[in-house]
Amino acid sequence: MTSLLANMGKKQRGETSSSSKTASIVNQTEDFSLVLASSDDEAPEEVTFEESKAQALRSMKQALHTARREKELLKEKRRKRQELFQEQKKRKRLPADVLEEIDSAASKKQKQSEDEAEEQEAEEEKRKSGKLSRNLKGKYTVTTVKVRASDAFQKQVAEDFIRSRLYGAGSCRTTSNELLSLQNKKGRNRSAAVKFVNKDWACSEKAKAEKLKKRWIHKQQIPS
Amino acid sequence: MGEFKVHRVRFFDYMPTAIRAMAFNSRTERLALARADGALEIFNFADNYFQEKVIPGQDGRAVEALCWVGQRLFSAGLNGEITEYDLENLRPRYTVEAYGGPIWNISINSQETLLAVSCEDGTVKMFEILEERIQFQRNLDRQKGRIISLSWHPSGTLIAAGMMDMIKIFDAESGRATHRLLVERGVGASKSKEVVVWSIAFLSDHTIISGDSAGKVQIWDGLTGTLVRTHLVTKWDVLALSISQDESSVVAGTSEGTVVQFQFLSSTVDQHDKEWVRTRTFKNHSHDVRALVHTKIAVVSGGMDTQLVVRPLLDKVEKNTQESALRKVAFPHRSLVCCAKKAGLLLFQFPDHLELWRLGESDGHGKPGDSLPVERKPEKLIQLKRKGEDHICCSALSPCGGWLAYSTVTSFRLYRLQNNNISITKVSKLPKDLRSAHQLCFSSDSSKLFASSNHSSVVVVALNQPECKYLHTLKPKSGSRQPVHLLFASEDGKWLATANTDCEILVYNLEKLKLHCTVPVYSSCPTAIAIHPTTSNLVVVHADQQIFEYALVKKEYTEWSRKLQKQGLHSLWLERDTPITHVTFNPKNPAHVILHDMFMFCIIDQSLPLPEAKTLLYNQMTLRSLPESERIIHSHAFKICKNFQHLMCVRLLDDHSLVVVERPLLDIMSQLPAPVRQKKFAT
Repeated sequence: MTSLLANMGKKQRGETSSSSKTASIVNQTEDFSLVLASSDDEAPEEVTFEESKAQALRSMKQALHTARREKELLKEKRRKRQELFQEQKKRKRLPADVLEEIDSAASKKQKQSEDEAEEQEAEEEKRKSGKLSRNLKGKYTVTTVKVRASDAFQKQVAEDFIRSRLYGAGSCRTTSNELLSLQNKKGRNRSAAVKFVNKDWACSEKAKAEKLKKRWIHKQQIPS
Repeated sequence: MGEFKVHRVRFFDYMPTAIRAMAFNSRTERLALARADGALEIFNFADNYFQEKVIPGQDGRAVEALCWVGQRLFSAGLNGEITEYDLENLRPRYTVEAYGGPIWNISINSQETLLAVSCEDGTVKMFEILEERIQFQRNLDRQKGRIISLSWHPSGTLIAAGMMDMIKIFDAESGRATHRLLVERGVGASKSKEVVVWSIAFLSDHTIISGDSAGKVQIWDGLTGTLVRTHLVTKWDVLALSISQDESSVVAGTSEGTVVQFQFLSSTVDQHDKEWVRTRTFKNHSHDVRALVHTKIAVVSGGMDTQLVVRPLLDKVEKNTQESALRKVAFPHRSLVCCAKKAGLLLFQFPDHLELWRLGESDGHGKPGDSLPVERKPEKLIQLKRKGEDHICCSALSPCGGWLAYSTVTSFRLYRLQNNNISITKVSKLPKDLRSAHQLCFSSDSSKLFASSNHSSVVVVALNQPECKYLHTLKPKSGSRQPVHLLFASEDGKWLATANTDCEILVYNLEKLKLHCTVPVYSSCPTAIAIHPTTSNLVVVHADQQIFEYALVKKEYTEWSRKLQKQGLHSLWLERDTPITHVTFNPKNPAHVILHDMFMFCIIDQSLPLPEAKTLLYNQMTLRSLPESERIIHSHAFKICKNFQHLMCVRLLDDHSLVVVERPLLDIMSQLPAPVRQKKFAT
């Protein structure tokens, strides 16, 4: 119990007096010695000011050292990871000459498509198949993926965003039945909610309920 | 008048879609409206708020914002594309990928040269407006986080962008974000959720007004980047904002369904200390208001309850006039139901499928007002799903019930129905001129199909089982580029009447396959046309509720029509706010003209005197209370019945029974998404 209190004491002191570190450390050592004293019933040790000062400076230097070392280690790690990524990227990239060819083919392709703007059928076909193929000197072909999956995904994300903001958690929504029943509840001639009053409401649910009722009655009748 | 057996049809589960965005073109007085399923509608505010054009939606076109650039209409949506629409051919002209992920907002600068779009990836992309297309110019500095709303400063040099938890002001030339305004989060539980700045407006005096998800409307100083004033308007989100053209009034739409107005007023006489003061609150919606437009005289709002509401501001219009009345548009201004008169079949058009139903039968007899027992229930014969991504634009059923056709913006399909309408076979070889249609109509003997095609032309196709052959294309002389939205083929097969959105009504002679006559142009757009089977008189009803009757053989207005114009229509008739969508005739009584709008159907008896201005228009109930002998003295030509609500279609079958397709608004409301929960005392 006492050690717990001592820990709490240490923490509190650490937070409030950040400027006087040495003083706090001195206090801590004092506290510790007090604790020992209470359990051992001995006189407290005499610690000179110079000793405690030296101890405090040492611990500070140590702390600085460890911090610096940690920073350097982190830097190393980051550098190594960056190098790894660069290498992976280099490996993934196509050889430089192929890239050049694609660039030139792309500009040619643009001109071509402007000329062919009238041939609607050809365009429609391309759109249907969803692929744009470019033949580069017979050796390589560059095609786009058929369905732009990322587009559909982004659209879905945007729609989900709107839905969650308007109808999601915390949006305080109610049902149409409640909205339409307000008149029934507050009017001069109070009546039941619209879903009970209106015969056309929830026809499918009512049909299901009827079937269930018939089944239940049938079940009741079997043993007898 | 005669008794009718009425088929009361309530099995058309029509569900309109929520309104998502609106844009008003003050020069042409047209409102463009985008719905959640991608459909676009154009309303003519100068012509009694008539829904002139409808561009059907497309799967995946999730429109988030609309923008007029002169006469051109652009939309941007969550599919990451900017689309320009062809308003003459009622289809998208082209789409441009923005490559920024889902697009949240689109806005044009006041010089109409640069189009800015705000994207999910945190960029504001600028596109140059060119003659036939738009071209990507550059990105502004990319930000961390999505940019939900966007507003240009009227000078075109600054852009205010609403993001999550903040508003950024960009310099449009350098592309750099110059100011960052931090928006406070909500209180209590919503403190942990980021606040979304759903809408923003940049005024010419550098004031920024923002509406956010914490329910606040905040006024900021755009020059210093400081908050001037906060108004807590609602517990839920403020979803839309719109400023008036003179920048003296702002309206904010909330999730509660209220629209709150703020005006720039001063409390003293000398107008020195003007500030934004909350003035009016309108509660015209039951669900979230997601789109708002502030015109010169009215506030137009639309949202999840699918109804378009026009609320004229009483300080801008004269009180207690037709102009100052609240307008609600709930149903489309065209018919979605087709009836095969001879076969007793109904075709219901949904955006993604068609349903063919056979009407029920009842042999009973009874007094007026009785409900007859149904011996054979109505049954759904066919449910036809469309192919492809585009929604169905128009559909038609031949009067004999043997042919079914529908069209989308990219395709046209024709089907043959056999075996008492149970089996359906697709007609595979279609003429190449028949690619897509804005309106379809079968001739009364089911031998020909008329399809309204590009620029007011009509394609005539002959139906010979099992295939169809192209016959002719009827073109107007005027060379109008507007689409034909009404088609009517006469009963005797001699005439075809067409009407387009340029208010031109043309009648073609089908035996000679050429133009017969052009009805004199009237300034309001026609909403329904029909040709009388015996007298060959063309009856036209316009968006301003005027009725004209034109004799086709003599090529002049009829005597009755002249009498009606001279006396004028009754004021209550002219004050009705939904258009007549169909006109039909009674084979048993040639003097009858049957018309209907959303709230009533009317039988005009041309043999009876026209109602005077002071007489009671809706007099059917009073007439019933009088003895038979006295009725004839008090009755007038307009016999209006309001027993059936809300009407989608009224048709007269060949067996002299009336078909009334009702879709009560309550049924639609019961299937809408969840509204906000408002705690009311004692409930």
